[in-house]
Amino acid sequence: MAKYITKRVLRSLITMFIIITILFALLRLMPIEGYFENFDKVSATQIQVKLNSLGLNDPLPKQLLRFYNQLLHGDLGESNVYRRGVAITEIIGEKIPVSIQLGLMSLCISLAVGLPLGILMARSTRTRFKIGDRLGTVFIVIVQAVPSAVYHILIQFAGSQTYVGKEILGLPMLFDAANPKSYILPVLSLSIGSIAYYAMWLRRYMVDEASKDYIRLARAKGVPGGAISRRHVFRNAFVPMVQYIPNSILFTLMGSLYVESLYSVPGMGGLLVTAIKRQDNTLVQALVLIYAVISILGLLFGDILMGIVDPRISFAKKEGSR
Amino acid sequence: MGETEKNVILSVKDLNVKFTLRGQVLHAIRGVSLDVYQGESIAIVGESGSGKSVFVKCAMGLLDANGSITGGSIRYGDQELTQYQTDADWLKIRGREIAMVFQDPMTSLNPLKSIGKQIQEAVELHQGLKGPAARQAVLEVLADVGIDDAARRYKQYPHEFSGGMRQRVVIAIALACRPKILICDEPTTALDVTIQAQILELIKAMQKKYNLTTIYITHDLGVVANVAHRIAVMYAGDIVEVGSCDEVFYDPKHPYTWALLSSLPQLGVKNEPLYAIQGTPPNLFHEIKGDAFAPRNPQALKIDFLERPPMFDVSPTHKARTWLLDPRAPKVEPPAHIRSLSQRGGLSHD
Repeated sequence: MAKYITKRVLRSLITMFIIITILFALLRLMPIEGYFENFDKVSATQIQVKLNSLGLNDPLPKQLLRFYNQLLHGDLGESNVYRRGVAITEIIGEKIPVSIQLGLMSLCISLAVGLPLGILMARSTRTRFKIGDRLGTVFIVIVQAVPSAVYHILIQFAGSQTYVGKEILGLPMLFDAANPKSYILPVLSLSIGSIAYYAMWLRRYMVDEASKDYIRLARAKGVPGGAISRRHVFRNAFVPMVQYIPNSILFTLMGSLYVESLYSVPGMGGLLVTAIKRQDNTLVQALVLIYAVISILGLLFGDILMGIVDPRISFAKKEGSR
Repeated sequence: MGETEKNVILSVKDLNVKFTLRGQVLHAIRGVSLDVYQGESIAIVGESGSGKSVFVKCAMGLLDANGSITGGSIRYGDQELTQYQTDADWLKIRGREIAMVFQDPMTSLNPLKSIGKQIQEAVELHQGLKGPAARQAVLEVLADVGIDDAARRYKQYPHEFSGGMRQRVVIAIALACRPKILICDEPTTALDVTIQAQILELIKAMQKKYNLTTIYITHDLGVVANVAHRIAVMYAGDIVEVGSCDEVFYDPKHPYTWALLSSLPQLGVKNEPLYAIQGTPPNLFHEIKGDAFAPRNPQALKIDFLERPPMFDVSPTHKARTWLLDPRAPKVEPPAHIRSLSQRGGLSHD
């Protein structure tokens, strides 16, 4: 197991190294306007002075090595446009707690609703009219097929502009960190996709598992239906999902690009949009890097978790005998 | 046989099972009656689709959701099993009274649970043991089924076992339930020929040790010859002949049994093509008129196409459902090689 984990970690490091290098190369292709607050108003000499001070006129290998070195020390550079001269780590440090706060709430809701929904649907496939499964499927298909922008706007509108939302529940349209009520709609928006996602996959894997021979054997040996669902079907259905869960958790925590801008949440998701719009090269570079690292971590944790829950994945010496 | 014959442990009378498939009704079991006696070993033979698996599934409430018992009775002791509706009812039977060994050991174990835990599940359910005592019982049953080094094996997962070993584990699970009846649904079909005999020996030994009644389902007459006291031949959802092993092998009465025995490669004549039963089994979506085997039977009588034959008694233990046994029927001799079977010293198999 330790060997497997070490191997996976090393591979992730290599992937990360490659991503960093590619990212560096891509950013060298960006126009230099992205390093200036108001490019039109600066003179040619001022530009050169600035570029020199940023080290952008140095030979590329030297720049690349410096980039690695900075990253190793946790230095992501300074913002040039968005908030001139402020360290990017500081900007992100302000934004990230908001995203994580909303993300955690939505994560709890999506797991708490999505997993039971999946189990309910799977169990309902064995009933006569499959009502639960059909209703659940309608929900999932709508969430998956309709562009998310549409239902986010619907949620926002229904929640804050209709009579029930506005007058009775008093939900505000935009996010306001000081007003707990304003958390409800963004969290709902953030959760709805994940609920459908968890429910869909859990249902699918549970239906798969329930038709397997070993479930038949468990029934034949007299295990009650509830215990079969819990001990055999759910547990086994969870294994293929385990691989994707860390990734989906990490991304939920990092905030959603769209939802955050819709509710004007001052979080990470909105930051990337702003950074790209304002062409803040260093900030874009740092954010892309963070998202890449999160993907890699998600996959890494997924694989490790998988190795823990599935005994068939073993990189140790084989003990069985034929 | 002898005195074991007296107590009927499972009695099936005129059982009918129908499945609904895409709006059509399939009559899978057409009025089967069979008594299973305490302590005996009976084999149900028949080709694929003859309904032998469906038949035994009825006794455990394991029919698929689209199938249902539409008539007849299954009595186990003083219980009428056809009355059972819910899973809760069936839990009184499954494992506790009747346990089952399935065909494919590669898929009948949960891949994510150690085999010890899977056996222990049965021990805890049916022997009322918990914790270390349950574990001890698991180790004992593992040793029983011939798995060495049980303490280490307890912790291993199914993928660490070979096919034959897995089938031993499946048998251990069935035994751990402490059932009265053990149903073996083609227990050796998925195994290497070399392993098959070992597994059959094991089942036989366990039957003796735990005083079990065993019901084998198989299409392999070699298996039957090895293990069974009695044979029931199934064709198209009906038992066409039932009798002791000797009676069915050496004095078969039903044309289908003749055909089945004739297709044994051991009875083939050198340099001649092996015998194959012509035609295909009837479509059970249609209601069958007369003797189901008649269309494939070259010697079929006129009445075979018109009316379903009753069960005729050949001897107190031997019955067959064919008009040939009616006193008015013309004398039709079984094929020559069937007649010579007894002179050849039976089936050499082992």
